Amino acid sequence: MHLLAPTALRVAPDDFPARVRARFASELRRAGRFAQLCLLGAQACLEAAGGDGPLGVLWATGLGALDATRAALDEGLRRGEPAMPFTFIAMQPHLAGALLAQRSHPVTRTACLYLAAHAWPSLPQLAQRWLAQCERVLVGCVEESGAAGVAHRSDWCLFQKEPVAGAVRCERSLRPENAAAATGEDWIPRVAAWRGRADAPLLLSGGEDAWRFTIDG
Amino acid sequence: MSEAFVRASALASALGPDLGSAVERLAGAPVAAARNTKTGGAWPYFAIPIAGDDWRKRAEAIARRVAADLRREAALAPAQWADLPCIVGSSSFSVGAWDEGGWAALEPAFEFSRRLARGFGVRGPVTAVSTTCTSGLSALDIALGLVAEGEFREVLVLGVEFSNRLTVAGFAGLELLSATAARPCDRERDGLVLGEALAAVLVSAAPAPWRLAALATRMDASSVTGPAPEGTVIADAMRAAMAGAHWESAAVDLIKLQSGGGPLADSAEANAVRELFAPVPSAVSLKGALGHTLGASGPAELALLLASLSRGRVPATWGFAEPDGELGLAPSGGDAEGVRRVLFNLSGFGGSVMSLALEKAG
Repeated sequence: MHLLAPTALRVAPDDFPARVRARFASELRRAGRFAQLCLLGAQACLEAAGGDGPLGVLWATGLGALDATRAALDEGLRRGEPAMPFTFIAMQPHLAGALLAQRSHPVTRTACLYLAAHAWPSLPQLAQRWLAQCERVLVGCVEESGAAGVAHRSDWCLFQKEPVAGAVRCERSLRPENAAAATGEDWIPRVAAWRGRADAPLLLSGGEDAWRFTIDG
Repeated sequence: MSEAFVRASALASALGPDLGSAVERLAGAPVAAARNTKTGGAWPYFAIPIAGDDWRKRAEAIARRVAADLRREAALAPAQWADLPCIVGSSSFSVGAWDEGGWAALEPAFEFSRRLARGFGVRGPVTAVSTTCTSGLSALDIALGLVAEGEFREVLVLGVEFSNRLTVAGFAGLELLSATAARPCDRERDGLVLGEALAAVLVSAAPAPWRLAALATRMDASSVTGPAPEGTVIADAMRAAMAGAHWESAAVDLIKLQSGGGPLADSAEANAVRELFAPVPSAVSLKGALGHTLGASGPAELALLLASLSRGRVPATWGFAEPDGELGLAPSGGDAEGVRRVLFNLSGFGGSVMSLALEKAG
């Protein structure tokens, strides 16, 4: 399969509301910060990748919708206020896929995974499986900032079956022992950085699995 | 590509602390859900009949029981069991711990899932997935891929939803709950009744009585909290599941409905069923007996349905009494003789729609 538009988005927490307003005006007021963060990165990746066709959306997180959870629990339920869909914990992790679909992208399936940091190879592996049913799969790693001075991150790339100019060929590697260890936090940024100076294949591992990236053609 | 089968399943639900007692109880007279003070007290709720004041300790006790039942039925060698990968589907994970312990008691979803898997005695890789009410079937979908591609011969799938006030408050805020009872497909249906469950399904490449023939997933983005009224996306998912299983619609013997008693959602699913089937095959809903167990509902209803069928019964649909002429669905229980192909529907918030094709092997 082929990878397009690796997009690493980092947003300082203080800048986040302005970034969302600039990108979506007031459209996302019902979504929690996690869903907004997903959508910011996913939209940037899709715009960079171009193309159309049925799209699967798959993203992973370690902690998930922390902000929405805190808001629902501390500010809502404790005060006896009704929990509405926008702060409803069952809804928030999954909401980004629906919001993306409502923005005219032909989304056919979505899932939010909670993974250990080293388990990121599950994402390209699952994307490859989904490509049997979708033409393209948008894959993300999203995490809200959990500490002062740490940026929110929303990293995305697009996988598709067909090669196009500028795409990166991705294959599961049978030689994980030769790979550099990567995590959910850095594998997409490393692919993005490598693509600009790709004089040799990039081999990244996570757990006992590894993926090999080469420039198409 | 390997075929996948249900090797074993186990369930703790409002019907009983184990699958055997649940099937027996389901064959008897319907029992209404009680109001539950742990979920706010204002709404009926299907709680697992296992006592415990501490949310986490109670969850662990329920898990131990389900794990022991599954392990006994699976009959795997200890080393095989220990190596199992585990996929956990839930919409709320450990959010109920907050009710008693506040913010500090709330574990991240992955940590909760890993602890749950370790509680089952498995040491393989753990993945957690959230697609709201279809989370458990999404977990099954991941497992099917791992077995089909030969990554693993057996995969443990857990669907889990334990009681918590926030989920009940969320559904109440959306005015989706019934104040009295779940009445799937009934003329008097007026909303859902929620419930809790922990269900475990062991997916295997080894032949077993029921084959997981195909699983189709679709997205209905018309609204984030309900299906499009005409049910076209639900119909498309059912059509795709049948195509994946190489079935014609006339081959379907039974449909396990998503139907939980919501006026609009039941109507959308009925439209989808009528679009594909004439005449409509036998149908059943399990949410009148289990409640809507949200992220656990896929594995929970799968375990209960297959256990009932293996005992020769299509279970009755609790809560259904008077047909709604506009739906054109009249779920009914009966003899399971001749039931070989089952379509199993599920849908949830965020537009997730799934349909699973189950086929009796051999």
